[in-house]
Amino acid sequence: MKPRLTLRWIVFAIAAFAMNFPVLATLITAFKPPGEVSRNPSLWINAPTLENFATVLTVSDRLNVYHYLWNSTVAALIGALLPMIVAFPLAWAMVRRGTGRGVLFPLVVNLRALPLIIFAIPLYMMYSAIGLLDTRLGLGLILAVVNLPLTLMLLVNAVAEIPGEIEEAAHMDGARLLRLLTKVVLPLCRPALITTFVFGFITAWNEFLFGLMLTTRDAVPMTVGASFFFATSGGGVQWGTAAAVMIVAALPPLVLGLVMYRRISGSMVAGAVKG
Amino acid sequence: MTPGRSVENALLAGPMVLFLLAVLGFPTVLSMIYGFSETGFQTLTAPQFSGLKNFRDVTADPAFWQAAWFSLRFGAITALLQCGLGLALAVHLAPLARAHGWTVAILIIPMIVAPAMMGLMYRLVLHEFAGPVPHYLYSWFGWSPSFLGPANVFKTVVLAETLQWTPFAFLLFLTACQSIPQDLREAAAVDGTRPWRLFWKIELPLMMPTVFVALFIRFIDGFRVFDNIYTLVGAGPGGSTTSISIYIYETFLRRGEIGKALAAAILLFVTAFVLLSVAQRLLRGRAP
Repeated sequence: MKPRLTLRWIVFAIAAFAMNFPVLATLITAFKPPGEVSRNPSLWINAPTLENFATVLTVSDRLNVYHYLWNSTVAALIGALLPMIVAFPLAWAMVRRGTGRGVLFPLVVNLRALPLIIFAIPLYMMYSAIGLLDTRLGLGLILAVVNLPLTLMLLVNAVAEIPGEIEEAAHMDGARLLRLLTKVVLPLCRPALITTFVFGFITAWNEFLFGLMLTTRDAVPMTVGASFFFATSGGGVQWGTAAAVMIVAALPPLVLGLVMYRRISGSMVAGAVKG
Repeated sequence: MTPGRSVENALLAGPMVLFLLAVLGFPTVLSMIYGFSETGFQTLTAPQFSGLKNFRDVTADPAFWQAAWFSLRFGAITALLQCGLGLALAVHLAPLARAHGWTVAILIIPMIVAPAMMGLMYRLVLHEFAGPVPHYLYSWFGWSPSFLGPANVFKTVVLAETLQWTPFAFLLFLTACQSIPQDLREAAAVDGTRPWRLFWKIELPLMMPTVFVALFIRFIDGFRVFDNIYTLVGAGPGGSTTSISIYIYETFLRRGEIGKALAAAILLFVTAFVLLSVAQRLLRGRAP
């Protein structure tokens, strides 16, 4: 049995290294002094420094990382919370009364499988007509659509797990529907709500296509801002600074994701299997 | 059902219906209008009806078919690679994952990184002068391929997509593998069944529904790929990495051919819808 276990650890190490290699190499590059990157592209740092992070976190006319981070935070909050608000009452009605099972549920769930670009162009035209282009609200709204399918699925699962007797007991007390939902069902769903929120926030933060198309300056999210940094510096990319920008951009979802990885992986599986 | 109840139900479903109508219904109507009209960014408010002209333009454009073919190939190849690798890793590492949960966390990190960031990271990693991969290849073998050159760029984007999303397949298969009752395996061990045979005769058949789901999801995500390819190479040398999503994006924003881009998007929607219905019928037939 022993050699088998050693083999498993070796396979794990190789897979982990190969799949995480770009992240690892970027992390290392971010700590190299600007002059060192082209002379020493290896995975060893001769003179570790925080200079690149200092550059990235200093506001300049070329790069204001706080602006991007703020845009991403606001848009991702809208993108994560709004679908929960519209899906929660429906999820309850669907589980307890079968409302919308026939059309609404398959419609929403199938959105997950459609290429997002289909919606991007008409949305661009609608946004430019009503002034939502290049706003955090506009970006947040479409991120909410992206999160809608998985949010609905996770909330339906959560409501279905609440024993019907608990709700019936509350009904006996003469609780009205609104009170039942907010005082009984909502608290019981709390773990699922937290998972759904974190998952939605990560997905929204990581989105790129809509940020690229629907924002130009004021509401540019972090993922798009980081790519600007590559484009504007043309041929001579400052690799150290670029690496630091990418680490800053990837850090919020990574921290959230690793802290809650069990729930995150659980909801990924649930979303896939039920869809 | 009492009238009070149906009002209640309408109120409960209301927010979702309104949201869908506003954010998707209205744009769909716009698509229909502009898809059949002659428009540019200058004449956005005054579309001229032009019938099927946009659709003829799209279907006559070789770049559209090249992009569609790229997306199909990319989706199919990456889905197969990811599911093959993910299945092998899940079955092999399941005991390790059971005893040390943190190993799973390490393996799913790539999924939590934005695909757009991953594309940029590969740009650094594969860069001729600043990238560690060419650096080590040169110092060990004295030679390194041009990863983003015309000859290799397809393989490179396939590899990048596969390495980022194999964890997804791995996670699905790991869950499926761990839900197989342990006594089945023990009974097989008592009978003296070899591990390889155990996999083919017991584990794989039980995991088959998950295999289909994983293949389906990974194909869809590969087919509609945009972020990581766009940030890594853009449209690619000679349009060689132009996926259907990148084609529509470039037609719209770069060339300003709104009607043509919308016609392509509508064709894509119809294709996706048909494929989805067929696939779901098939999956439903197999699922328990």
